[in-house]
Amino acid sequence: MPGNILYSANIPGLRMEYSTLKPDFSDRVKYPGWLAIHLPRLPLEVLAQEDGLPLAVAERQGGRRRILLCNAAAAAAGVAPGQAPAAARALSGGLRILARNPRRERMALEELALWAGRFTSRVVLEWPHGLLLELAGSYRLFGGPGRLTDALERDLQRTGHLCHTALAPTPAAAMLLARAGRRERVTDLPGLPRALAPTALGLLPLSGEQRQDLQDLGIRTLGELLALPAAGLARRLGPEPAAWLERLLGRQPDPRPPFPFPDRFHQRLELPAEVSSRQALSFAAHRLLLALAGFLTARQAGCRRLCWSLGLGEGREQGFVLGLQLPERDPERLLELLRQRLERVRLAAPVREIGLRVEELEPLAGRPAGLFPETPARPDPGLPERLQARLGEGAVCGLEVVPDHRPERAWRRTEPGAGGCTEAGHRPWCGRPPWLLPAPRPLPVDGRGRPCLDGPLSLEGERERIETGWWDGRPVARDYFVARTASGARAWIYRELGGGGRWYLHGWY
Amino acid sequence: MSANLERLLQHHPELRRGPGMAAAPEKGIPTGFPVLDRQLPGGGWPGRAITELLVGGGGAHALGLLLPALARLSREGRWIVLVAPPWLPYAPALQAAGVDLARLLLVEPAAEPDRLWALEQALRSGGCSAVLAWPRRLRPSALRRLQLAAEAGAAGGFLFRPFAAAAEHSPAALRLRLAPAGDGWEIDLLKRRGGWPLSGIRLPLRPAE
Repeated sequence: MPGNILYSANIPGLRMEYSTLKPDFSDRVKYPGWLAIHLPRLPLEVLAQEDGLPLAVAERQGGRRRILLCNAAAAAAGVAPGQAPAAARALSGGLRILARNPRRERMALEELALWAGRFTSRVVLEWPHGLLLELAGSYRLFGGPGRLTDALERDLQRTGHLCHTALAPTPAAAMLLARAGRRERVTDLPGLPRALAPTALGLLPLSGEQRQDLQDLGIRTLGELLALPAAGLARRLGPEPAAWLERLLGRQPDPRPPFPFPDRFHQRLELPAEVSSRQALSFAAHRLLLALAGFLTARQAGCRRLCWSLGLGEGREQGFVLGLQLPERDPERLLELLRQRLERVRLAAPVREIGLRVEELEPLAGRPAGLFPETPARPDPGLPERLQARLGEGAVCGLEVVPDHRPERAWRRTEPGAGGCTEAGHRPWCGRPPWLLPAPRPLPVDGRGRPCLDGPLSLEGERERIETGWWDGRPVARDYFVARTASGARAWIYRELGGGGRWYLHGWY
Repeated sequence: MSANLERLLQHHPELRRGPGMAAAPEKGIPTGFPVLDRQLPGGGWPGRAITELLVGGGGAHALGLLLPALARLSREGRWIVLVAPPWLPYAPALQAAGVDLARLLLVEPAAEPDRLWALEQALRSGGCSAVLAWPRRLRPSALRRLQLAAEAGAAGGFLFRPFAAAAEHSPAALRLRLAPAGDGWEIDLLKRRGGWPLSGIRLPLRPAE
């Protein structure tokens, strides 16, 4: 048991760690742990950025357009949900009313569902209110329900949504508490009725008539409702609300269809406002990277190729690929690479939409948030990408040997890390210079026909004849020499055979 | 020899080490030239510091001098990075010298500031064993940054600079001037940690096998 080993190691910090974790583990298998995430302002968030001006979202309810939600500036002027748009405009002169966009809300919810893959693979989409995450299976990995929900909330804040969360042993109770805006953390079933008691009747799935009926009885909260005899309640309200209450309290099963994590990641994000600054762009892209990280964690995979597309409006699109040497899924590292890559992207127009597509996944084992957060210094496999992200892909490469006798064709550029040994073993010192000129440089000759480079060169050692390449139309016929300059440097030069017999400088030792 | 010294130091309290040599220097990267190794603190190129190689003579480009060390480092697994070399590093010659080309990274930024950036990134990353660069101009403050980056990333930084740079103050751990001479190199150690300057070390063109 790793726990025992930790305990016997007499390190004060670790002992404390273990003993504080212990009570958290005690109830981990007894009850499911449903975390509800409620997004009360999602219809507003997907449509516009908060700019302090009065704004409302309207939708058709029973044949009439009604205000669904408004921001603080509009509420201050007296605008409230349920009003007719005309009435709302009368209250607030500059009020902007936007039509609700369920498609964008659904996309945002799916993005969050993918994000949640970082914490659990059991995610339920609760349209239109939010998400449900079954977390009990992940308690141990994260060090108990308290730590897990704290870590999750911190991460949730980075997605930029206003969220209310609540933890409860049944999905219906968790969502009810989250919608009530009560940040409860209920981990056991017996404690549930007390936690639910203050909930107002307005949040329960009751018809107006049923609610009125209960209010006439003097019942205002769920607690008072639950205090009534169950049989009478079913008779008074009908079977459906009674069955819902049974599921709420965990007396009846409440199966939920899980969110199916897709095989590939393909998410688009329509931006609430046009964006032309790289900073704002990377901020928006961060949300996609958080979703990607969740998706990859749920699939225990990493990726090496991120295809980005930037929608510029009127069907125009601009794309680029972020390539990596090794599979990765850490959103912060990916964001850093993206930021550097974005510096080289020239935007043709302001961006309205960002898309991220990842087709190929590669296995990447889980990296649990360990007891020792500092990872030891390790070689950095991401260096080529970091350099490429800022300098361009062409500016970073590896080298490879090509079996060809023509010196200028005996090598080529490759992907970083790709140029392994093509031949078995290495030959002993082969006499080639470590430097090659990108193109042979013609050398002048003096009166006695000697090649010159800052004065006449003196030839040393053996001549090497290279005569080859007749088959592909680029033949070379040359005599190579090592030559010494006046200052003592060694040059690799050759004389063309045939033609004018001209001299060229081709390399340096 | 050193065992005798140790015995002398132990038995004669009036003998003591000079302050510069008190701490044994960190082990260096063997250069492949025993004559040179004997003169370098740590017995080789500094493994986590900047080495300045001042080269002159229009063509003494000295990459050959580093090849034995690069061959050894390339088998260690981390990257060997060449930032903006003046010509093409010739793959067949590097491979013949034993360098594993799979570990070699050629970085060619277009602009001078990007070169400095790439150089510092590579040194600091921890993923490189050696970083070679041919900077045109280098302020002492930039050199100090690079020295810190090399320490942080445990990388050997090799800067090839013109003779004229010898006049500038330098925070580099090792500074040497080299020129072609006879059938090999002549090296002057201008600065080394824990030792005096030394001139006139003769090296052959090819390392001892």
